[in-house]
Amino acid sequence: MTTQGYVFMTIAWGIVLALAAFSVTRLLRRKKG
Amino acid sequence: MERERWATKIGLILALAGNAVGLGNFLRFPVQAAGNGGGAFMIPYFIALILVGIPLMWTELAMGRFGGHQGHGTMPGIFSLLWRHPAAKYFGVLGLLLPITVFIYYLCVESWTLGFSFFSLTGKYNGALTQEAMGGFLRGYQGLARNDYFHGIYWAYLFFVATAAINYYVLRRGIRGGIERLANIGMPLLIIMAIALVVRVLTLGTPDPSRPDQSVMNGLGFIWNPDLGALANPKVWLAAAGQIFFTLSVGFGAIQAYSSYLGKNDDVALAGVATVSTNEFCEVICGGTIAIPIACAFFGVAATQAIARGGSFNLAFQSMPIVFQHLPLGNIFGFMWFFLLFIAGVTSSVALTLPAVTFFVDELGWTRKKAVNVISIFTFAAANLVIFYLAHGFMDELDFWAGTFGVVLLAFIEIVVFFWVFGKDNAWEEITRGAEIKVPRFFRFVMKYVTPLFLIAILGTWAKSDMMKVLKMEAVPPENRPYVWGARALMLAIIAGFTILVVIASRRGSFSRQRSSEENI
Repeated sequence: MTTQGYVFMTIAWGIVLALAAFSVTRLLRRKKG
Repeated sequence: MERERWATKIGLILALAGNAVGLGNFLRFPVQAAGNGGGAFMIPYFIALILVGIPLMWTELAMGRFGGHQGHGTMPGIFSLLWRHPAAKYFGVLGLLLPITVFIYYLCVESWTLGFSFFSLTGKYNGALTQEAMGGFLRGYQGLARNDYFHGIYWAYLFFVATAAINYYVLRRGIRGGIERLANIGMPLLIIMAIALVVRVLTLGTPDPSRPDQSVMNGLGFIWNPDLGALANPKVWLAAAGQIFFTLSVGFGAIQAYSSYLGKNDDVALAGVATVSTNEFCEVICGGTIAIPIACAFFGVAATQAIARGGSFNLAFQSMPIVFQHLPLGNIFGFMWFFLLFIAGVTSSVALTLPAVTFFVDELGWTRKKAVNVISIFTFAAANLVIFYLAHGFMDELDFWAGTFGVVLLAFIEIVVFFWVFGKDNAWEEITRGAEIKVPRFFRFVMKYVTPLFLIAILGTWAKSDMMKVLKMEAVPPENRPYVWGARALMLAIIAGFTILVVIASRRGSFSRQRSSEENI
């Protein structure tokens, strides 16, 4: 895998994980609230 | 009669994610990414997610909740509420035709995954170590050839009956006891198995040290190394939009049926984002890391390219079992792979059946038991045609019209009816009422203008490039044409049947009935 490949994979995984983290924290906040 | 409700929000999200996560996440996505610019594919992919995927998810969830609290959980009833025109309910027939048609062939593919889960554990395909041998195993199982592995279609039929029975059982148990319970157990199990397979793949390294080019890293490179020049090709953008469409399972009418079992002020905005997040985790991280990288590690990049060109089914059912036979505990990993696909399949197939069941209950006043019985008998009988005419293109024809073209058409009609006929302000109010996140206002503009234009572009391109070819059966051998006509006749019969039922429901006064949410509680 090239460096560019690593960069694209890292960014894509980062976006997906950030989206997942956002959803989970909002759902947890709702549960606590 | 009191309308059933989801027991918990997490249950709803897992059920929606179960509907969205399907075979496409683990098979279609890596093939699409590798063939359309690698890492660069993710640029149009995420743009399409924001401009098409998330807007359609919110639209369908809001439409379903809107219809549900007035006693209509399917598209004929929802369209007649949103668009006060006598023809509106007939456009909604698409929202019954598409999921049932897709279910008819999806049930067969789902049963293959259950069968191969069993064969992985029993080691029935052990020894089939070449593409030819494993291809023979697959064809033997499907009843397309008689060979040393299978003398008939009995095994495939047994697993088909078992799969149909599981679907029937879940649907008979209803929303809470059936679909939600299945999702609560199945989705965490699916995610655990997917992560276990991802870890196994990432720790494989270079299985054959004498072939250093055949490694997992080169497999990941095959998917992720970007070809930025591909971004100038409109087909890459359409492929990305198409992938987003299929992966989220929008345009079937199934999401509306699910959200029709929500309360009037229950959140749909956060539920939509959470569903998308779960789906994207299963697709980009798990789907992109399992099948293609492991195939590259064992067969090399060039051979994997050829396998991918042969289609997703060959990758899943022919190449992956060969790979698993080379791994320690390969039977267990093989079982995990196929059972993961089975769970992804069953949580999607129950969603495909729900619109028809909900239609019979809401609009014709049937009991759930009667509706599930009738739908199950019909789809079981129709799926037999797919099993026995598999070699004659029966499934491909249903897949093009219902699973490819029809869903984009229905999504286009949905967003036009919701944002242009029902009105942008009303639609926005429906999406944001009860929202547990702040929905950015720029989505108002996106949903009214950008999403419909994107969908027109996809429809127009397909109409230009594929539709006439498929319509004229240019790629269909003459001996298969009667079967393809049979598939078309089946779809026309389903349209005619549901249209007659909509007329009957209309005469009963179902579409002029609006129950208040208080009556429903």
